[in-house]
Amino acid sequence: MSTPFYKPRFLRLFTGLVYLYLFIPITIVIVFSFNSQKSLQVMEGLSFRWYTEFFNDPTLMDSLMTSVQIALVTMVISTIVGTALAIGLVRAHSGTSKGFNILMLVPLITPEIVAGISALLIFSQLGIALSIWTIIIAHITFSISYVTIVVRGRLASIGMEVEEAAQDLGASRWESVRLVLVPALWPAIVAAGLLVFALSFDDFVLSFFTTGEDAQPLPVRIWSMIRFGVSPTINAVGTLMMVVSISAVALAVLIPRLFGRRESGVKVLTGAEE
Amino acid sequence: MSSRRFWDWFIFPGGIWIALLFAVPLMLVLALSFGHVDDFGRGVYGFSLDNYRDVFDATYVPVLIRSVAYALATVILCLLIGYPVAYFIARYGGKYRYALLAALVIPFFVNYLVRTYAWVALLADQGLINNLLVDWGFTQEPIQMINTPYAVIGGLVYGYIIFMILPLYGSIERMDPSVVEAGKDLYGSPLQTFIHVTLPATQAGILAGCVLVFLPAVGDFVSAQLLGGPDTYMVGNLIQDQFFAASNWPFGSALTVVMMLFLAVWMVFYLRRASKGEAEVL
Repeated sequence: MSTPFYKPRFLRLFTGLVYLYLFIPITIVIVFSFNSQKSLQVMEGLSFRWYTEFFNDPTLMDSLMTSVQIALVTMVISTIVGTALAIGLVRAHSGTSKGFNILMLVPLITPEIVAGISALLIFSQLGIALSIWTIIIAHITFSISYVTIVVRGRLASIGMEVEEAAQDLGASRWESVRLVLVPALWPAIVAAGLLVFALSFDDFVLSFFTTGEDAQPLPVRIWSMIRFGVSPTINAVGTLMMVVSISAVALAVLIPRLFGRRESGVKVLTGAEE
Repeated sequence: MSSRRFWDWFIFPGGIWIALLFAVPLMLVLALSFGHVDDFGRGVYGFSLDNYRDVFDATYVPVLIRSVAYALATVILCLLIGYPVAYFIARYGGKYRYALLAALVIPFFVNYLVRTYAWVALLADQGLINNLLVDWGFTQEPIQMINTPYAVIGGLVYGYIIFMILPLYGSIERMDPSVVEAGKDLYGSPLQTFIHVTLPATQAGILAGCVLVFLPAVGDFVSAQLLGGPDTYMVGNLIQDQFFAASNWPFGSALTVVMMLFLAVWMVFYLRRASKGEAEVL
């Protein structure tokens, strides 16, 4: 096959170099998280020192708990609301669905700093004190759109036939949604929920603008740690957060398979069709 | 209950949530941008163009231009690096395609702050790269890498390149390989075939990738804060200052509105394509 890159060999070399570029920084984070000394230049020896430090730091533990709580509540609420929105947008052929189809995409392509400021303004306008709840509300707003897109991708491949069959058999329209449509969408719903968990757990910018006096989520804590100077604890925190996020995403990819369906999780998540 | 009403009820909770907590607050930003700060430092709504006059003051215009320039440089670098990678995975990945894609996504699940911080450790004057260069005798003095525009743009590329590669991959994978063969049969050189066949066929992916990298890059403040200095501040840093350190919310709002105007063309373009249901958009 002809390629503009002269030979596939060079293309492979280039791709390999890009993978190196992508992986070297995170490898450094992981490796130095096990360093026994404070240095970020020389590996002195292996130890769990920075992990011990992290788990013994009460403010960091509070931040971890805060981040997990935010991600869990965000996941549950945005999955329910986002799935309903996806079903409504695909099934309703009204003016309402047309408008919301576009509106729903806007939070995804707006720079996060703008969403952060907007949220800060509405909370201060309504006199709502910043707390863990304001962060959750801000996270849900963009998460709804993610869930809707993932679920809608799956919904597009399910025709009306099953629901019509259920209604022919005497189910009400609501029953046909609850008993037929939602079970068929279940893999996509779970995948979307886990994806949103990972995104919310990792989010810095929105949390930064909507965080109040109570325990700050982990990324906001990391931000102030970095600005106060270099600490190897950041490497340990970063490595742990990576494990949490990647586990959530790996589950999101694997769960659709565990449901016994043949399609790959990648396809469910991206809504790709063959 | 009519059929239409039934399905609309599914839309309302999410639709109204986004309208009230996203669209309405955006309007508040617009409204406050015409306001001013009262004696207590609080933002007050009003109707004056003073903030906009300040935005286009000689102090801030360079920051606006710099932000757009950095973001454009980021887009171009992401495209130049990302296209060959996406092409390789889509065309030569074979049964490893999904594994290669998964490996590509993994670094992006390390927190953005931690990833940028890793670059600080690499590029600092006493950082890993400079230590190696000095040890190996390439240079006597450490080379200044951090606090430069290159470091900031590098941080942005590292942060957002995945949003370029994924849509590119989608469009290259969907392209019919036989059109490339046809180009070859018509005695096109590999380069001609690429320019006249492959590029146009993957145009949708290129455009989607460029928009998806440009939009967050313009508003970024993390890369400039950690890898740059005052000379490399972007509009995101300015905006963030107005809401925290300087505490001038109306001026911060005006900066945000101006930034959004820069982005509006790209956003509308993207939304039009997305609403037509083109596959590469997300």
